[in-house]
Amino acid sequence: MSASGNQRSRPSPSRWSKRRTRWLIVAVLLALAIVPEFFVTHYAHFESLGIELDARFGFYAWYSFFACGAMIAIAKLLGIFLKRRDSYYDE
Amino acid sequence: MQLDGFMLPPGLILILGAFILPQVEGRVRHALLLALPLLTLLMVWLIPHGSHLTLGLMEYELEPLRSSAEGRLFATVFAVAAFAGGWYALNKATLLELSAAFFYAGSAIGVTFAGDLITLFIYWELMALGSTLVLWANGKQNPRAYPASMRYLLVHLCGGVVLMAGIAGHVYATGSIAFSSMTMTDGLAKWLILAGFLVNVGAPPLSAWIADAYPEASPSGMVFLSAFTTKTAVFVLIVGFPGTEILIYIGLYMVFYGIVYGLLENNLRRLMAYSIVSQVGFMVTAVGIGTELALNGAAAHAFAHIIYKALLLMSAGSVLLMTGKRHCTDLGGLFKHMPITAIAGITGALAISAFPFTSGFVTKSLETAAAYQFAATASDPMLLVWVWFLLTAASAGSFLYVGLKFPWFVFFNKDAGLRPTDPAPHMQYAMWFFAFLCIALGVFPEALYAILPYQNDLLAQPKSYQQYTASHLLSQFQLLLFAGLAFFALLPLLKQTLTISLDVDWIYRRLFKVLGQEFTFKVGDLGGKTEAKIHGRIKRLIAHMHGPSGPRIHWPSGFMVLWVAVLLVGALGLYYLR
Amino acid sequence: MSMHLPALQVIIPLLLAAVIFLFNNARIAYIVSVAASWLCLAIAIQLLLLVNDGSVIEYAFGGWEPPWGIAYNVDQLNAFVLVIVSGIAAIMFPFSWRSIQAEIPASLHVLFYTALLLCLAGLLGMTITGDAFNFFVLLEISSLATYTLISLGKDRRSLSAAFQYLIMGTIGGTFILLGVGLLYTLTGTLNMADLAERIGPLQASRTLQAAFAFLVVGIGLKLAMFPLHLWLPGAYATAPSVVSAFLAATATKVAVYALLRFMFGVFGADFAYGEMHVELMLVSLALVSVLFASLIALLQRGVKRMLAYSSLAQIGYMLLGIGLANVSGLTATLLHLFNHALMKGVLFLALAMVFYRTGGSSMRHMSGLGRQMPWTMAAFVVGGLSLIGVPLTVGFISKWYLILASIERGWWPVTAVILVASLIAVMYIWRVVEVAYFKERPADLPTVSEAPLSLLLPTWTLVAANIYFGINASVTTGIAQNVAQTLLGGVQ
Repeated sequence: MSASGNQRSRPSPSRWSKRRTRWLIVAVLLALAIVPEFFVTHYAHFESLGIELDARFGFYAWYSFFACGAMIAIAKLLGIFLKRRDSYYDE
Repeated sequence: MQLDGFMLPPGLILILGAFILPQVEGRVRHALLLALPLLTLLMVWLIPHGSHLTLGLMEYELEPLRSSAEGRLFATVFAVAAFAGGWYALNKATLLELSAAFFYAGSAIGVTFAGDLITLFIYWELMALGSTLVLWANGKQNPRAYPASMRYLLVHLCGGVVLMAGIAGHVYATGSIAFSSMTMTDGLAKWLILAGFLVNVGAPPLSAWIADAYPEASPSGMVFLSAFTTKTAVFVLIVGFPGTEILIYIGLYMVFYGIVYGLLENNLRRLMAYSIVSQVGFMVTAVGIGTELALNGAAAHAFAHIIYKALLLMSAGSVLLMTGKRHCTDLGGLFKHMPITAIAGITGALAISAFPFTSGFVTKSLETAAAYQFAATASDPMLLVWVWFLLTAASAGSFLYVGLKFPWFVFFNKDAGLRPTDPAPHMQYAMWFFAFLCIALGVFPEALYAILPYQNDLLAQPKSYQQYTASHLLSQFQLLLFAGLAFFALLPLLKQTLTISLDVDWIYRRLFKVLGQEFTFKVGDLGGKTEAKIHGRIKRLIAHMHGPSGPRIHWPSGFMVLWVAVLLVGALGLYYLR
Repeated sequence: MSMHLPALQVIIPLLLAAVIFLFNNARIAYIVSVAASWLCLAIAIQLLLLVNDGSVIEYAFGGWEPPWGIAYNVDQLNAFVLVIVSGIAAIMFPFSWRSIQAEIPASLHVLFYTALLLCLAGLLGMTITGDAFNFFVLLEISSLATYTLISLGKDRRSLSAAFQYLIMGTIGGTFILLGVGLLYTLTGTLNMADLAERIGPLQASRTLQAAFAFLVVGIGLKLAMFPLHLWLPGAYATAPSVVSAFLAATATKVAVYALLRFMFGVFGADFAYGEMHVELMLVSLALVSVLFASLIALLQRGVKRMLAYSSLAQIGYMLLGIGLANVSGLTATLLHLFNHALMKGVLFLALAMVFYRTGGSSMRHMSGLGRQMPWTMAAFVVGGLSLIGVPLTVGFISKWYLILASIERGWWPVTAVILVASLIAVMYIWRVVEVAYFKERPADLPTVSEAPLSLLLPTWTLVAANIYFGINASVTTGIAQNVAQTLLGGVQ
């Protein structure tokens, strides 16, 4: 049905190696994004309120990942109730 | 050069242009399409700040030509959007759409120069009319455009009615029609005006009209539609309701509403419509924060958003135009075949995701900065903490549901076997132009900052809006890259389906219909014959009462006389009993 | 001469009606009628200028002082209405010639102009007279002329419509006569000014209350107050176009004036509001009428019937203004007398031009006309915008005051009804615009050309007035506010 789904269900050997390279590149990129964290100091935006979460190590990385994961999960969940065939209103 | 003697509201150039366009053909029309917005832009900048024209109406003084910093900023980007939209549409769009779009753009610019509520209301309604016609102009190509345009018009006319009631009440309470900040006033009228504005901004519960109507327009039509209505509403909120706390909640709702519905959406341009709601939610939240930095942020974000959203829609529109496909599920692997469209789409996607060195980065961060800038001294600091964390999450989310989803499913992913080419040259030029602006604003944000409404803040505290610090760049890269990780890691969950998502518009698109059917169904239970009889009788009754033809269109005289008697006896009886 | 102006105002059209009937030549009848209408307008304007400082001209017919003779009293209120009626006549009479060629058999043209002048004389007389019985007589003159005018239509149904109107009109007239009779038995006078004085001490009298009820219901019938409106759509829809235009713009206005005159000039605001609480009846009926008539208008396929129902809604606005019982409300009513005459005048005249060219005025006949009759349809659009109440047209001015009045009263639901009805007006005007501008002309209908100048010119005069008085409303609002304050004098 979906293009991405098909790709996943029938992976050919050459695709496997392609995907491995792709993930490798991603991993390197992510590592590159984390490394400078050792040299750059983030300052806490709400220091005066005693909130220093956003100055912790790698905050933006994990916060972004989990926020996106949560949003996708919520969307999936709502989708169960909200999704209809796209001809729904034409009937 | 000063134009003291001869000044007209700049919006009129485009509005009059809308009526000139049908009178000319070919090259002259093309020239006008490009020249009139530029002429408007020139006028916008030649008019010095202040009110220059008064018209007496009843005991009030209309100010149709009040130039302000906020107004000029929005008028500038509106003129630019009309220019690029016209370029993109050039000879692809129908004449009706072009005229309507110019009328629409002119009215939007009229709002930005409105010094009083009545002028504002006039242009507000003209905008509703112009935008409806833009939708309507696509009726021949897309049979769904006409009903969508009528639903759209209905929502906006209802909003207009609420606005009018509010204006009347406000004028009655204050005696002034001036359009200025209403945060100090109180009473029902103020909230009615706010409600009227919020309808156009796409606020809940009526957010659905954007995704319902806009995607039914033509490729160029949606470029026009995305630019004006919601952003004009942001403008009036900036002027009228800065710092109104409820806007924070409304804005945050819009932000996440757009993301969630966007994630579920399969139709490309409807995805873009949801992302309009989400992005405008950022601006509404900023208006709710209401500090000078926040208002600057809202204005700057609106400016940048009009450009990158138009760019995204040009790209999505080109795909639709060249392939005839509008769903993620039907597309894929187009990068090789439509490289320029792809570059435009990716640039727009990066800008909307606030990628460093794009216009989104230098404008959205003003809004997040506004959340923490005065948090310590705010009346409700924890609220602002929440705002900051949520907006930061939403920034990552923007990358997820537009920034990655759109290019990935259209230009990469699996090849869907389509072999289109890039669209006509003028459409490519328009895309190059806006792609250039997206990057240029990101690299040289000073040009945009210089025309923001509140310069004091910018000059006094340069630190608070410093974009390109190592910390900021790093955190933004991390934010985006890990959003990307989430996207690819959870790709199976994002499998696109050929569906739509229910929204509040279900009430007026489905519920009313179902209720009607329910009623007929029950009648049907009585058996075919009875049903036919009842139907016939109802039909005859209607025909009898108000029918267009038929021998007896009049009520029987006896019936009329009966009413006379009823009324007289009623009146006499009432007086007698008293 | 100038001291006889009040008499001339009525006598000129009345006498000339007889004259043209004797000459029995259609063209002469037309020219004389137009001249008469212009003369009437000149007199009315002169009268308005004379009383604009708030003074009152009293004119005793034949030198017989009231209460024995008939008196004509001119004040700002009725001078204003005189200008409306004669102004509309001065625009529509020149229009009529071409229009009736297409709609009325040539043999009846003289009769048409005779009836038209009689109708004008009656309407002007009802407005100017200060004598309650004379009011009834002139009402009957104008009504009889109206029945004739309606029945002249080529549409066969116009006969039955006219007959029905005759029945209802006669009942209304009878009620008014009964009311006047009751007043006479109570006070022994028919002069309105005297009546007002003598009624003062009789507030609790049952007879007085009955007289009030009869008069309100009787006049209510004439002005098509809901639910006494049923005669109006048929009559307006089947009458010759120019007659519909003239009646829609003037007849109901004079009836509203009569209601105002009896309520405030005879019974007094204290009695009407304080004792009889007429505002409750007016507001509730007006609200129903505004909503109901607007919705029904939306369902019509004949544009003329649609406009007729819209007129009912507009009458609802006027009654609403009276019912709100404050200066803004009455100002809105008075303004709407003037403004509605302008907007409905334009709409009906535009429709008359469509009929002139296409031979019909249904939605079908109007499809695709935007390009073929651009000036006609543009006039219709301006009239429609005015009807909706778009700013910079007259419609906005009166609606604005009405909304202010409802807010002043704190009646937000009333505000809501007014605005919702405007919304419905948008929809029914839109239906016509859509058909005219965005639909192709059906293949079986002939291509038509723009209406002749002799029809366009009067129409566009009214269009210009719609916009002029929408932007420069100081003259009309000034008069309306003055009058409203005078009328409500004691109550506020």
